[in-house]
Amino acid sequence: MNVMRPMPAGQVGRSVPRLEAREKVTGRADYVHNLVVPGMLYTKVFRSTVPHGRIVSIDTSAAEAVEGVYRVVTGEDIRKVVPEPYYGPAFHDQPVLALDKVRHVGEPVAVVLAEDPYVAAEAVQLITAEYEELEPVFDEVEAVTSRAVVHEVLKPAGTFPDLKHLVGRRDTNVALDYQLRRGDVDAAFAAADRVFEHEFRTQQTMHTPLEPMVSLAIPGHESLTIHTASQSPSFVRIEIARLLGWPENRVRVVVPHLGGGFGAKLYIKLEALVACLALLVRRPVKLSLTMEEQFYTISKHASTFRIRSSVKDGKITGRRCEVFWNGGAYADIGPRVTQKSGFTAPGPYDIDNVSIDSYALYTNRPPAGALRGFGIPQLVWAYESHTDLIARELEIDPVEFRRNNILREGREQATGTAMKDAAIEAVLEDIVARMDWSKPFDRGTGPLRRGRGIAIGFKASISPTTSVAIVNVYGDGSSSLYLSTVDMGQGSDTAMAQIVGETLGIETENVKVIHPDTDVTPYDMATLGSRSTFHMGNAVKLAAQHARDQLDALARSLGLPPGTNYGPKDLFKKKYGMQAGNIVGVGSYIPDYKSPDPATGLSDNVTPFWMIGGTGVEIEVDTETGHVRILRMVNAVDCGRPLNPKIVETQLSGAALMQLGFTLFENMEYDNGQVTNASFADYKIPGIHDLPARIENDIVEAEQKSGPYGAKGVGESATFGVSPAIANAIHDAVGVRLTEMPLTPEAVFRAIRAQKG
Amino acid sequence: MRGFELVHPASLGEAIKLLDTDDPTVRPFSGGTALMLMMKAGVFQPSRLVDLGGIEPEHAAVEATGDGGLKLGAMATLAQVERSADVMRVAPVIPRAMKRLANVRVRNVARIGGNLAHGDPHMDLPPVLSSLGGEVAVTGPAGERRIAIESLFSGYYETVLSQGELIRQVILPPQRGWASAYMKCTTRSADDWPALGVAVSLKLTDGAVQDSRIMVSAATEKLTRLAAAEAALEGAQPGEAAFARAADAAATEAETIDDARGSAEYKTELLRVYVKRALAEAVRNGAVQ
Repeated sequence: MNVMRPMPAGQVGRSVPRLEAREKVTGRADYVHNLVVPGMLYTKVFRSTVPHGRIVSIDTSAAEAVEGVYRVVTGEDIRKVVPEPYYGPAFHDQPVLALDKVRHVGEPVAVVLAEDPYVAAEAVQLITAEYEELEPVFDEVEAVTSRAVVHEVLKPAGTFPDLKHLVGRRDTNVALDYQLRRGDVDAAFAAADRVFEHEFRTQQTMHTPLEPMVSLAIPGHESLTIHTASQSPSFVRIEIARLLGWPENRVRVVVPHLGGGFGAKLYIKLEALVACLALLVRRPVKLSLTMEEQFYTISKHASTFRIRSSVKDGKITGRRCEVFWNGGAYADIGPRVTQKSGFTAPGPYDIDNVSIDSYALYTNRPPAGALRGFGIPQLVWAYESHTDLIARELEIDPVEFRRNNILREGREQATGTAMKDAAIEAVLEDIVARMDWSKPFDRGTGPLRRGRGIAIGFKASISPTTSVAIVNVYGDGSSSLYLSTVDMGQGSDTAMAQIVGETLGIETENVKVIHPDTDVTPYDMATLGSRSTFHMGNAVKLAAQHARDQLDALARSLGLPPGTNYGPKDLFKKKYGMQAGNIVGVGSYIPDYKSPDPATGLSDNVTPFWMIGGTGVEIEVDTETGHVRILRMVNAVDCGRPLNPKIVETQLSGAALMQLGFTLFENMEYDNGQVTNASFADYKIPGIHDLPARIENDIVEAEQKSGPYGAKGVGESATFGVSPAIANAIHDAVGVRLTEMPLTPEAVFRAIRAQKG
Repeated sequence: MRGFELVHPASLGEAIKLLDTDDPTVRPFSGGTALMLMMKAGVFQPSRLVDLGGIEPEHAAVEATGDGGLKLGAMATLAQVERSADVMRVAPVIPRAMKRLANVRVRNVARIGGNLAHGDPHMDLPPVLSSLGGEVAVTGPAGERRIAIESLFSGYYETVLSQGELIRQVILPPQRGWASAYMKCTTRSADDWPALGVAVSLKLTDGAVQDSRIMVSAATEKLTRLAAAEAALEGAQPGEAAFARAADAAATEAETIDDARGSAEYKTELLRVYVKRALAEAVRNGAVQ
């Protein structure tokens, strides 16, 4: 670089305050919830009250008669706009509004449109539907063999080659059966000193973004604009265009700030519905969900994990994993969770013989999708609880047992991909050192017993995925970054601007970030799975380099010597004779990837990078009530070189505390498919008083050589170890083992009582 | 769309006249923290709300009585009671309980009278105020009557108040010589509705328990006074043995209920533990001088 000011150095690695912070705390930030356009109709959804049934009739007459109701729409009306109105990222199985059948309580069956949202809300209560009830299935293990079949025929989307074998498969709830075979597990079990087998379960929970889902569609002349709180604007455009049979350029998707996402706002949520309604009535249509309605829209998979391991001479020699994912009534991204997370089910350990079967199941619950970790927290919960149980049985210190078996740099993971830039050992040793693991530990007195536990986990980045970015340098030398990464609170605007600043040698604060607008910003696969820092970060760096190279070329073409003092502004002026022109730098990034062999699940390049996270806790159990208090929590991650250490730290504490809620008490409770606690009054998330007394977040010294300035993703890593670390600590404190989440005081109390007899 | 009428009487008398109807969709409105949630959830659709915000300011007064008791106007906010120097002196257990009652935003708006009249068994103040021997002065079309707070509740979200009756004031007797404590237990997040609330008041004379009031809430269908537990304490030396006997009696007599916060069985065990702990806490807190 020779035409830019060399100052200020070091944009990357600096804790730049978030660019949007002032806008947010002063209430000036844009959200779709606040957006009102002329002629807009509000939507209220009439939802199924049965978990599984054939629609016999829907009576909308009373609702239509309410003064102020513009129109009532059912699934059959949607067919007038889209003849085959089924959507989804992995399977085209979800109808815009229910057709023929309902598959979960809360499924949208009809909608009321009105200019006044209160009129719509009142009228929707007057709709009635008659169903021929069918036998439901709710449990993921029962769904494998149940008579109840949620979808008569599987409808995988054509976009995924590894789902092709499922096309047309009938009368099964298994949406995807993923398998991996490495070595000879049976032989390992036969030759082992000991074989251990356990089953672990997790419950269904919800993302609870404080801004519930919201979308607004505006019909135009042969076009459609959708303002939506989405994590995946590019996908929304592609999927809406597919449904309508339109070219992509007639659909515009605009995304401002999000009030949290956590995976809830991925792929299509409300967009297909508002799009169809807007085209049906030729007016702008807005749908804002309530907190309660979110529970019927998307959730985190409940799961059952059967894990069996053989040990010889203190080494794990074989491991069989059977994982059942409760995907609910529609696949959403569940099949990708099943596969892309499934292959890490044996954990970050060096095991020669591995067998994995991972099943995506349809049930009659609300759909499950991605939630901060993409299935990894469910897996780590099982394998790190299992690891501790083995160590305990073998009377080996759990840290020592992990050291003996840990997956070291260069060794092959179960898929056959060699570990690279994966600081698993460093994360473990960092936690161990911070917790003074080898020193004596205060075990508590009287009814208060203390214990401690550690757990580590890892995740492979989803691959292959693409990101494109544009850096535009304007005539006065100022610049903007155009990208479709959605900043939903994770700080991506700031981090991406830092990459531009570092590459162009300008201040981060002077880079303007243009929020996603598919008419303006280029393609990005989605903001999910901690992929943005790495994928979009690389694209942004390439775009900035491209701009810089063009500025250098411009300087040369103007006859300026290398190292000239001319800044971009001077170059433009010299070239055009006035303040004019642009330099547009474009960067596009897709990492190398090799698809796993369908039969064995093996690949020598299954992911572009690994995320590593671990947690250690010291806890106190009240043995008289079962209450668990977290006295200290240590989270450590390998995120490569942090672009913005302060933002990384908040990502770590945020992820760990979110998982703390899932671990200790969050739980969607059911009565025949109806969620009985679908509100913040009864579905509790952690508050300030639930925080550990002490929480430490640590970034271990590491570098992702293929990442932008050595960085990689970190949004999920601190969720990995939380649940098993706490269960391991409870075991350490009071000698009981919980194998089912959440770890409620009553569950702890009952286990203590059972142990006493 | 069905709307509702919001009326603003300027006096208590006028409010009572506006509420004097058999129509259950006519309801008084004070802080609105509970009622608004019910309206938003569609559980309650009013035809008329009678806003009590404009009635005589004396109904929001918080003051000590000459004999060492307290009078709390029904329209006093929880925050007002929490910060009152008189309340702190006469019944310090109340401001202590307030710290973990809902949150500061709710306490700034919710009123003492509404808190009691709502009849929600998960509220913290009914056990606290009843353990202090509190009464409510109730005004209605038929005149005024007094009801002990421990007798105010007739069931789950039900009170003995008739349509048109309003709680005007809470009256607490002198607390001199009484030691009190309130403990609650949540089983999900710390700010959840309690799975159990236990309020105790002890009168200690010459080192023995002369009198006591032990109240349980949240774990039972309605606020319940635990007479057998009180009997077990009568005349006893305060200490672990007596408290354990009272706790066992409490666990035997209380009819706990299942809900999302825990099974009835578990709540009975929690009650056993918390009665013991609350009694010990009351002794540690010491008697009001």
